[in-house]
Amino acid sequence: MRNKMRSNKTLSNLWFCVFAGGVGFLIVIPLYWMIITALKTQTAIFTYPIEWFPKEFTLQNFVDLFARFPFGKVLRNSAIVSVSYSVISIVTCSMAAFAFAKIPFRGSEALLKVYLATLMIPFQSTLIPLFMLFNSAGLSNTYGSVIIPSLFRVFGIFLLVQHMRTIPDDYIDAARIDGASYFTILWKVILPLSLPIIAGYAVITFMDAWNDYLWPLVMLTKPEMMTVPVALGMVNGQFERNFGVQMAGSLISIVPVVLIYLAAQSKMKDGLTLGGIKG
Amino acid sequence: MRKNRNNHALAASAFLAPSMVGFLLIAAIPFALSFAISFTSWSGIKGLEIFSSSFWQSNFIGLENYSKILKSKEFWVSLLHVGQYMVLYIPLMLVSSLGIAVLLNKPRKGTAFFRLLFYIPVLTSWVAGAIIWKWVLDPQYGILNDILARVGIAGPAWLQDPKWAMFGIVLASVWKDMGFYGLIFLGGLKNINPIYYEAAHLDGAGRFQSFLKITLPMLTPMVFFVLVISLINSFMLFPQVMIMTEAGPAGATQVIVERIYKYGFSYYKMGYASALSWLLFVIVFLFTFLQQKLQKKWVNYDA
Amino acid sequence: MLKKSTVILMVILMVLGLFAGCQAPAAPEASVPVATEEATQAETAAPAAEEPVTIDFMNFSANEGGLLTLGLMKDLFEKENPNIKVNIETFGYDTYATQLQTRVGGGDAPDCFELGLDAFPSYVDQKAILPLDDMMAASGTDLSVLTDKSLQAFSINGTKYGMPYSYSTVVLIYNKDLFDQAGVAYPTADWTWADADAAALKIKALGDDYYGLIQPISTYEFFKVVKQYNGGLLNDDNTAFTVNRPENVQALQRLVDNVLVTNICPSKEQRGSLDEWGVFKLGKTGMIVTGIWAFPSFTTDCAFNWDIAVEPGAATKATHYFANGLAISADSKNAEAAYKWIEFIGTSEQVAQLRVQLGWELPCATYQSAMDQYAKLTPPANRQAVFDSLNYVVPVPQIAQFSQMADILGVELDAAANGSKTPQQALDDAQAALEAAITLK
Repeated sequence: MRNKMRSNKTLSNLWFCVFAGGVGFLIVIPLYWMIITALKTQTAIFTYPIEWFPKEFTLQNFVDLFARFPFGKVLRNSAIVSVSYSVISIVTCSMAAFAFAKIPFRGSEALLKVYLATLMIPFQSTLIPLFMLFNSAGLSNTYGSVIIPSLFRVFGIFLLVQHMRTIPDDYIDAARIDGASYFTILWKVILPLSLPIIAGYAVITFMDAWNDYLWPLVMLTKPEMMTVPVALGMVNGQFERNFGVQMAGSLISIVPVVLIYLAAQSKMKDGLTLGGIKG
Repeated sequence: MRKNRNNHALAASAFLAPSMVGFLLIAAIPFALSFAISFTSWSGIKGLEIFSSSFWQSNFIGLENYSKILKSKEFWVSLLHVGQYMVLYIPLMLVSSLGIAVLLNKPRKGTAFFRLLFYIPVLTSWVAGAIIWKWVLDPQYGILNDILARVGIAGPAWLQDPKWAMFGIVLASVWKDMGFYGLIFLGGLKNINPIYYEAAHLDGAGRFQSFLKITLPMLTPMVFFVLVISLINSFMLFPQVMIMTEAGPAGATQVIVERIYKYGFSYYKMGYASALSWLLFVIVFLFTFLQQKLQKKWVNYDA
Repeated sequence: MLKKSTVILMVILMVLGLFAGCQAPAAPEASVPVATEEATQAETAAPAAEEPVTIDFMNFSANEGGLLTLGLMKDLFEKENPNIKVNIETFGYDTYATQLQTRVGGGDAPDCFELGLDAFPSYVDQKAILPLDDMMAASGTDLSVLTDKSLQAFSINGTKYGMPYSYSTVVLIYNKDLFDQAGVAYPTADWTWADADAAALKIKALGDDYYGLIQPISTYEFFKVVKQYNGGLLNDDNTAFTVNRPENVQALQRLVDNVLVTNICPSKEQRGSLDEWGVFKLGKTGMIVTGIWAFPSFTTDCAFNWDIAVEPGAATKATHYFANGLAISADSKNAEAAYKWIEFIGTSEQVAQLRVQLGWELPCATYQSAMDQYAKLTPPANRQAVFDSLNYVVPVPQIAQFSQMADILGVELDAAANGSKTPQQALDDAQAALEAAITLK
């Protein structure tokens, strides 16, 4: 019996290695390709058969990129926008989700459906009206123009609703009997139980805000207001056929988000020990 | 009792207020305008004068945009392409993201590393991701066909061959999204009370059985969420197509949102583009409505 | 919990510090010998009495190598016109159309902006830009420095809507080394496609991965090629599509045969994710039909000798004429000031010279000094071919729905190029699809 269990365990570890290794390999290839292309010379990029490992490394692509790309300014803009966006959206989404999942009120289902329906119209067709609205409010070239949409993020609301619905009502009833207000319940009961999901959502929403393209493209047009993807898009235009520089740019735009993720991951771990419904 | 209910409504509206402001500002008003525009011949390159009745009168063309779209072959072909994408993408994405979640749920050595690994594609913007994949899928200089050639398979010209182009788009999309949905499933898994597993173990259930009997049913709220969101997102398929294939080759990857963008911002027929959007809305809404109806049959909220 | 958020914040700050540290130094001031005598005089003269107006100018062409040049132009202009301040907004070409349209459609149109020949008829059609004739007359603009072709290109029904700004054309660029290797004589201005295809066959014979000629099969190439066969995609007054007429089929047949039969031209699959330029730069292709805007890129990236010739023809010759013009928004409140600005950057000799000196696109203004300067730059040695090409130019079809037409036809051309349809079938289908989708006035 004991032996069997042990072999089961090694077997499952083996499976983990094989599967994770296999899928990991598939994931890594494109990333590896990106990094290696960013470090290749123009001629090496177009060699056939392809060079898995370049014979000579160059930082020229990065030099070319940095010569045109005002990194400090652009990164600061992106950081301001993405951090405010994520923080606001986490607050508003948890509040809304709590109302939908745990406060019985007339029209709750219908309103959630209306919210959800707003995901079904492509942004391209509301771009001009939305621009008009924001522009006439004097929001062009302000951080506010790209932060305000964080008030309404259906994806986050829906995600948290789905999660909060799985939290047993007993917790809430017990708290209400103790005379707790809804606000206290959200803060003291629901949120601690939702930390893993919220941490995941934080990463997702940060990344969405960081990578957002079309909206900042029309709202933040002054060079000193541009975010990373917008500025990178312009630089790519200047190096249209230079894949090395484009890959260098892509690589550099990913780095800050990965760092944020690493920071949040430790948070998620805490969330797991704090939250989760343990017995 | 009645008073109690009012009380709830008041509390609910307090919690909903911020999102309501956002809803009005970035959804309700622009959507209403877009709906109105769909009945006009507005080009999009002349100022939109929402308060001028002569603007609306001179541009109003009734249902003409809608009837034109429904009669055009292009609309149905683009829908068909979206369908092809969905049929390939959703199952592939579901299986791989569930697999990832189950793998990463158990804390072992290397979990943190793999979690980051799976998540890096998610962190990548589509602008970067699509450029990378164009390279990976290159028939001659690409790494994928190089690998295939090593095991004796002559890979297709993924993005240049009309038969394979959509599949190439699907590959890139699954790569990009599986970590994302995997993370959501992982959040769901973390919420499952270990008591259930212990009970199942005592009953002599095997690993696979307890996955089927416990994990999957308990995960249904998240599966439902992922299905709804990924279906909507599939209908909204756009950036990868624009960057990787430019809707080609021979129109093989023309999809609805790509058409909307082209009509609105390249052919200067914003009225037509808006009508396309609202037809798309109706279709997506019907699908989601169906999902909501079926939800009661399989989604389980009792943790 | 607070602790963790502090950690996140610190990471962000660290990242910022890191990158701020390696922020690139500002681009060095250009030391360009600009004739500033006039400008300095203008500055000292006539102190401004009126309130200065600011005009917004949106453009894309400065993003590719012209940011500095445009800035210098602005300085010159503002010295001459102390009452006008120019606010330049430059965007990448890929997103420019969307950004401009959002501004115009959203009621925040810039006073003046750059437009390509393809988008120009649509803006005129929607009365989104002003006719310029009256302003040209009132300001006494010297139109003689602009060629008739460039003025016509931005006129519709005899009314001028755009100030010609820069132009380019398409030539035959060839790899001299490969011609030497294959023992073929270099292309000349009186080559026909038969000559080019014969030379291409010999170059292809040099090796397995060699190609003779790269010629795109796209609407933008095709509308010109059919003219070389005396065909045309539209009838003479642009009121009907004539996509499937026999001359056009003949033209497409040759393009397709070059890919599918002789394979002197690489197919899309053979090109893969490389574009036409990328393939040519590999140094194993004899010729490429492409725009003169390739010169800077080829100069840096091609490790072989290359030169240019006027594009070969068939029954007759025909070459491309692409141009960017400057237009004034119909909603502009400062149309007169905006006109002064576009007149300046469109017709001033200083500006023309500056463009050539700094290696930007060719100005439409034909000052001999600037043209001489341009012709002297090498490579290519035979730069004169650029000007010779202008004798055969055919304009982009002037219809408001051109980009939709280009997409519809493009799908069918793709199908012909990969052999899934014959040229006749493809053009028949294109004709039907175009007639169904587009109503020409």
